[in-house]
Amino acid sequence: MNELLAMPREWLSAAGEIGRFMGTVLSDVFGARVLRFSGETLRQAGILIISSTLIIWALMFVLGLECGIEGAYFLEAQGAPAYSGVFAAWCDLREIIPYAFGYMLAAKVGTGIVAELGAMRISDEIDALEVMGVDSMVFLCATRLLGSWLVLPFVYIAGIGGAFLASYIAVVQQVGVVSSGGFELIFWEFQNPTDFLFSLTKAMVMATVIVLVGCYYGYNASGGPVGVGTATAKSMVLNLVLVHLIGMMGTQIFWGQSPKAPIGG
Amino acid sequence: MATVEQQFEWHSGKNRSAGVPDAIEFIDVYKSFGSNKVLQGLNMGLPEGMISMILGPSGTGKSVCIKHIVGLLYPDSGDVVVHGQSVPSLSDAELFEFRRQFGVLFQDGALFGSLNLYDNVAFPLRQHTEKGEEEIAEIVNRRLREVGLGDAGQKMPNELSGGMRKRAGFARALVLDPQIVLFDEPDSGLDPVRTALLCELIKEIHAENGGTYVVITHDIMSARRVAEYIAVLWRGRIVEAGLAQDLFDSENPFVKQFLSGESAGPLGME
Repeated sequence: MNELLAMPREWLSAAGEIGRFMGTVLSDVFGARVLRFSGETLRQAGILIISSTLIIWALMFVLGLECGIEGAYFLEAQGAPAYSGVFAAWCDLREIIPYAFGYMLAAKVGTGIVAELGAMRISDEIDALEVMGVDSMVFLCATRLLGSWLVLPFVYIAGIGGAFLASYIAVVQQVGVVSSGGFELIFWEFQNPTDFLFSLTKAMVMATVIVLVGCYYGYNASGGPVGVGTATAKSMVLNLVLVHLIGMMGTQIFWGQSPKAPIGG
Repeated sequence: MATVEQQFEWHSGKNRSAGVPDAIEFIDVYKSFGSNKVLQGLNMGLPEGMISMILGPSGTGKSVCIKHIVGLLYPDSGDVVVHGQSVPSLSDAELFEFRRQFGVLFQDGALFGSLNLYDNVAFPLRQHTEKGEEEIAEIVNRRLREVGLGDAGQKMPNELSGGMRKRAGFARALVLDPQIVLFDEPDSGLDPVRTALLCELIKEIHAENGGTYVVITHDIMSARRVAEYIAVLWRGRIVEAGLAQDLFDSENPFVKQFLSGESAGPLGME
């Protein structure tokens, strides 16, 4: 029995540890301690822009195309191709694009953070920071979180724009089942600024969790290069699970009660 | 299974005074990692203003000692006192302030991989002082010249050899003029000539700047070149400690074996 309980107990203990770590980093940001390292925050923001933006946008664009293609063919088969915009609007804004953003962020930014901080941990760089009197949690983790908050909303908003454009291209130009005006009429009718805000909220919660999980696994890596590899894999698994949980909860909370579909008066 | 008496048979704990007050004291310190008991009642004093060496076989807790001194690890029981301050009882904020009196040279230099050599050495100055870039440049260049890296400021850590990384780490450790400098196996991974040169450098800079230097090593040649005071650590306790020459003349079988590098004696492969 004890053996059966050992694993859930371990998971609970790990969840508690991760939760406490996240709480510390968030309090470093909200408590303004991170502002002591505003230069490092801006550097992290810059790194994020230069190294990750294009690949995130690329995946969002491709999945925007997919939303358009799926919607167009499915609704054409049902005899209602004019409503392709409904599928594209919901697929882009509410579901697939936030997931695409989460997937690529976890794969590119999350694992990058684990690898970088993990390498710093095993080469004593984090200890070196500490003995120089620098709070390494604030310097390494809080700056990365604040840096991502400065950059990622704009990355996401621009990515959403790219996905909308991709759906338009797929439905109107590629499959060609509906006119440009017809697509846009329906596409914009089935979303509003509140939906956009909800979508942004969903994506930013994902981003926050991904960065914090990456920081946790990197900061606490041990066991040499193999340990860093293991920590990177673990962070990816946890981030993918959390991205889906946040996606599901977001949909339930934001649209579960009211789908905001202008159908049937 | 050896009894406690057998385990510590050679630990006379004899501490020949260096005649100056201790800068760092370990008072009955115990530290375990799981079932691995690393420090087992360590009592050790390291004198102010001297180059002290903690010598001992691999895996005997030397690096753990350094981490206790700077508060990266805390004892399970006992106390670590630096300049009269109990390290384990410091709050986080006090600890960060307290650490500014230290310079630490880690085994591989622990240079920040994303910064070039100049920025690595300038890092503590930028974090902890209000100095302008001109003054920082003057200090950093002087420190880099002292360690023979005057022309390497723009190089990245991955472009440097092991010895250069250590010297750069040394320059960074010195840049805030610390009262205490700790060296974690400065000779590891270096050839004998580079080791000798690094030892000379440590002696020269100590003679110039003063302060308390603590060097951790298991290399006897380094000890002969640099040490003014030696503490021999084994199985988490001091076997003997005292002025370097006294230790080299010691009749303690373990100290004698270790300092002469003989295979016959109390220390085996276990």
